[in-house]
Amino acid sequence: MSDFHLDFIVNGEIKHWTIAPGDLLLDVLRREGYFGVKRGCETGECGACTVLVNGKPINSCLMFAAQAEGCEILTIEGVAEGEKLDPLQEAFLEYGAVQCGYCTPGMILSAKALLAEHPDPTEAQVREALGGNFCRCTGYLKPVEAIMAAARVYRQVGPSGARPKAERRSALLGKKR
Amino acid sequence: MFDHIERFYRPTTLREALLLLRKVGKHGRVVAGATDIVTQADRSSRFLIDINHLGLSYIRGNNRGCLIGATTTMAGIELSPVTIAFAGGILAKAASTCGSIQNRNMATVGGNLANASPAADTAVVLLALDAQVRVANSRRSRKIALTEFYSGPHRTVLNGELLREIIIPALPGGGRLGWSFQKLGRTETDISLVNAAAGLQIDARGRIKWARIALGAVGPTPLRARIAEDLLLGNTFNEDLLARAGEAVMREVSPIGDGRASAEYRREMSGVLARRALRECATQAGCKL
Repeated sequence: MSDFHLDFIVNGEIKHWTIAPGDLLLDVLRREGYFGVKRGCETGECGACTVLVNGKPINSCLMFAAQAEGCEILTIEGVAEGEKLDPLQEAFLEYGAVQCGYCTPGMILSAKALLAEHPDPTEAQVREALGGNFCRCTGYLKPVEAIMAAARVYRQVGPSGARPKAERRSALLGKKR
Repeated sequence: MFDHIERFYRPTTLREALLLLRKVGKHGRVVAGATDIVTQADRSSRFLIDINHLGLSYIRGNNRGCLIGATTTMAGIELSPVTIAFAGGILAKAASTCGSIQNRNMATVGGNLANASPAADTAVVLLALDAQVRVANSRRSRKIALTEFYSGPHRTVLNGELLREIIIPALPGGGRLGWSFQKLGRTETDISLVNAAAGLQIDARGRIKWARIALGAVGPTPLRARIAEDLLLGNTFNEDLLARAGEAVMREVSPIGDGRASAEYRREMSGVLARRALRECATQAGCKL
């Protein structure tokens, strides 16, 4: 077996990791300590393992880590700025949208991608955006309320950083293949 | 997991990918969106070839039809102005039902076809649009009509070849056109229990000049209901014709029963979905019912 040398960005930091060629992104991220990336169904149904790849939500359980070469990954660990929580995180706390918390990282990342694309979403758009994130505690009402509230904050404080700039990626990583 | 994988290749040209495919032979597996590969039980592959960097993610449309690169994602098709405007947007609509947003950001249209699930949502639409696929190996490239592409459940006629492009020909000219995609699933983005796509062309005298009805999850492969199509031709659209077409569809399908639905239910629903699809087509084409 020949190792794969993975160069990519996780939460704004350049990483050079040596992985097995068949490793899944979920396993690699958890192995490196990103435990906010939750292991759920492992079949791309539940969304607990959601991360953003170049700003787009994907199921990290279905992606080979080697496919992320040169990409920018955002996990829940990279959403807050130091001690300062993201408005989405604040809103989830304020609205009681977290129960057991297992689905929360995925939901917040899905919401972050939505708000980067649609700063003023309708409730229907929020529900659609959460379609791939299952919550088995109770339901979705409070997360939906929290996301609508966070959207209002986002619109006041300006656009979020969920969509990375392609130029910034290539500047950080060089033009590696 | 995937402990048997010895090497992950990331070719950057089609030529390089095709040479790799030849080199690794049956030990290799092509990776596009990866969503089907990871969820399937088969762990026999030793080599993975990622085809996402070959420049095969594109949608090009004009009045002669539409070309779609194999690695175009479902999200790409769902959101493209070209596919939204083409043939009533039925391909974009089908793509938008292929799993969650997370799935659709990964899954590709080429993968949806090559995986050859009998329930593939984009396959029924592409059958109704008379699509072909362009496939290649390191020596030659050929076009295959989608009707000839499938050889069974999760089986295609691909023989060491890479599906590189989907070719949708120009839509029928003259007359008025109508299109529909129908899906029956437990949720909007669930795997289809039955799906259907249809297209109708109505001439100036109100007669059906051209008809396509395709169905999924009701046979070993996505299929065309040709007897029902023929039955429509030359006739004026009315409730009696619609009922007879639905009956013909139910006779043409050969569903199986599984954990999701019984064969009887799928057969019944194939008639319902075909009638819904044809009614929507007729309405769009301006038929009075």
